[in-house]
Amino acid sequence: MDAFYASVEQLDNPELKGKPVAVGGSRERGVVAAASYEARKYGVRSAMSSKVAKRKCPDLIFVKPRFSRYKEISNQIREVFFEYTDLVEPLSLDEAYLDVTYVKKGKPSATLIAQEIRKRILEETKLTASAGVSYNKFLAKVASDVNKPNGIFVVTPKNAQDFIDNLEVRKFFGIGKVTAEKLNKMGIWFGRDLKQIDRFELVRLFGKSGNYYYEISRGEDLRPVQPFRERKSVGAEQTFFTDLFTENDLESELLGIADILWERYERSNAKARTLTLKYKYADFEQHTRSKTITGWVTGKNELIEGAKDLLHSETFIKGIRLLGLTLSNFQHEEKNEPVQLTIDF
Amino acid sequence: MKFVVSSTDLLSHLSAISKVISSKSTMPILDNFLFGLTDAELTITASDLESTLITHMELDNTEGEGVIAVPAKLLIDTLKEFPEQPLTFQINTDNFSVEIFSDNGKYSIVGQSGEDFPELPEMGEEEATSVTIGPKILLNGIEKTLFATADDELRPVMNGIFVELTPESMGFVASDAHKLVRYRRSDAASEFESSFILPKKPASLLRNLLPKEEYDVKLEFDNKNAMFTLTNYKLICRLVEGNYPSYNSVIPKDNPNKMIIDRLAFYNTVKRVSVFSNQASNLVKLNINDNQLVVSAQDIDFSISAVERLSCEYDGEEIEIGFKSTFLLEILSNISASDVRMEMSDPSRAGLLLPVETEEEAEDVLMLLMPMMINA
Repeated sequence: MDAFYASVEQLDNPELKGKPVAVGGSRERGVVAAASYEARKYGVRSAMSSKVAKRKCPDLIFVKPRFSRYKEISNQIREVFFEYTDLVEPLSLDEAYLDVTYVKKGKPSATLIAQEIRKRILEETKLTASAGVSYNKFLAKVASDVNKPNGIFVVTPKNAQDFIDNLEVRKFFGIGKVTAEKLNKMGIWFGRDLKQIDRFELVRLFGKSGNYYYEISRGEDLRPVQPFRERKSVGAEQTFFTDLFTENDLESELLGIADILWERYERSNAKARTLTLKYKYADFEQHTRSKTITGWVTGKNELIEGAKDLLHSETFIKGIRLLGLTLSNFQHEEKNEPVQLTIDF
Repeated sequence: MKFVVSSTDLLSHLSAISKVISSKSTMPILDNFLFGLTDAELTITASDLESTLITHMELDNTEGEGVIAVPAKLLIDTLKEFPEQPLTFQINTDNFSVEIFSDNGKYSIVGQSGEDFPELPEMGEEEATSVTIGPKILLNGIEKTLFATADDELRPVMNGIFVELTPESMGFVASDAHKLVRYRRSDAASEFESSFILPKKPASLLRNLLPKEEYDVKLEFDNKNAMFTLTNYKLICRLVEGNYPSYNSVIPKDNPNKMIIDRLAFYNTVKRVSVFSNQASNLVKLNINDNQLVVSAQDIDFSISAVERLSCEYDGEEIEIGFKSTFLLEILSNISASDVRMEMSDPSRAGLLLPVETEEEAEDVLMLLMPMMINA
């Protein structure tokens, strides 16, 4: 979907049509969650602090996010997808991979189906969507950004290598800002530069991800579309109205976050073995610290104590704007792992 | 006050007691050594509130008396750089200035009031128990058991060594609920039955001090604190409060399957084979039958496996039992005998590991390890 949250707001409130809109917190501490295309012209981007956004675009209108509404539309869109295939892997509320090798209806052409789905979405929701069509997930995802908004782009096996060769590495899905900068420093700006680096060198530089970079620079991506992608973590976080400095303040906020996380964790029915503490300094510098236990987190108290331990093992050198907790590394029961027995005192 | 002391002598005393100082202490004053001078005796104290280490030095050349707190890290870092030579400490207890004069230099430090240093816990005279123990016995008791203590915030009693005195023996017990060690000495005993739980940190402090000790250690304790008096050092520590679980009832008595095996060969085999075990479980399987032990491990995720055969003396039914290799190795490396006896009943019950012959006659060592259930 194109500028999804912002477009929904413009749809529901016609006064916002054609105006620069940012969904997110307007206050001093807020962050832009999504910006309308009118706002993007001024350089407003998602994840930008509201303060910076307002400076770039003084006329920017801030709107509070309404997630239940976005969810509603998201479901509407998914219904459309399911008319064509069951192999739908959602990436977020407004993005999904569809495997249309075999389809329930329509012509057996991915390009035609994509056009049809975009048309159906416009009819159902009055919102525009963009599509990328190709023979694997990586290429489809990158292609979907090419003719945004309200466009479609097709990467055929024939023109794939050419497409990748001329793609900037920062536009590669899976290469983030930091990795892109690192690559740029090495003189690697485009796909064709990345392709020159051998696999071992990439693994040496980037660890496991190096393998992925090696493959995508050749247009190889064998990951299947997974309709029931497992949840890999549950988390909760909080940005504070003012930066926090004392461990006491941080601890009391942490307890609140642990409360929310515990509720989500219980609902997830997962068995997590790793607890991660994330904190962001006032200057947005971010750190994480985690610990893994034998067995899995079974009690709220265990979660709270673990979170406190992580907090107290850190030394904070600047004010903290955000704290978060995540439970991950889920244990799978069906794996039949051997169990260490304990003495029954 | 003023005193003259050998630089290396002072450093060795300070290094020994500095191990008690915590890197993240709760009170800034605890980053200091407390120096106290009375007559010709210099007393130096370091503490983390839970444990306190005190050392004494007899000095020939002193003047006046008093107490002062001196930054520990700064002092040790300075002393490390001196070759052996006399140092003169000139201390003003009014403005807390400390001046150290060496052969060709002067070093100035600002200390803190010695009065701010926390007071030592008082030992209740009447209810306190007092015994003397040979340093080697105490050292062995700690060394054999410390590795088996737990890190369990919910059951703090498991995080220490349970020391038990009876008219017949002195016992040291530690367990993390996966493994349990019981070390008993019949050549140390007390008139009355009594016990306490010694926390990990003071236990490891003692382990560092005891190897150099030549004389008997005086141990006094009440229900809150214990005090260990060595020739040059004194350790006072808060004990873990609470009741230690009744460990004797979990030691299985009837173990029909008994194996005797060369300890080192067994250790080396388990170590090699465990490289091939699953990294999360570290499971190694022992299959014992007909005087032969087969040790095997596999990691299905990577399609790797290993198997080794060892000869042993075995009396019992064929058994296949799994253990976490890291635990098994820890136990085998903490037994000093050349042969071990392993006693088992079935794959879901604890296995016992015992030295076939003990180093000293008065010694009784028992190590227990819970198995891993092999589901697959």
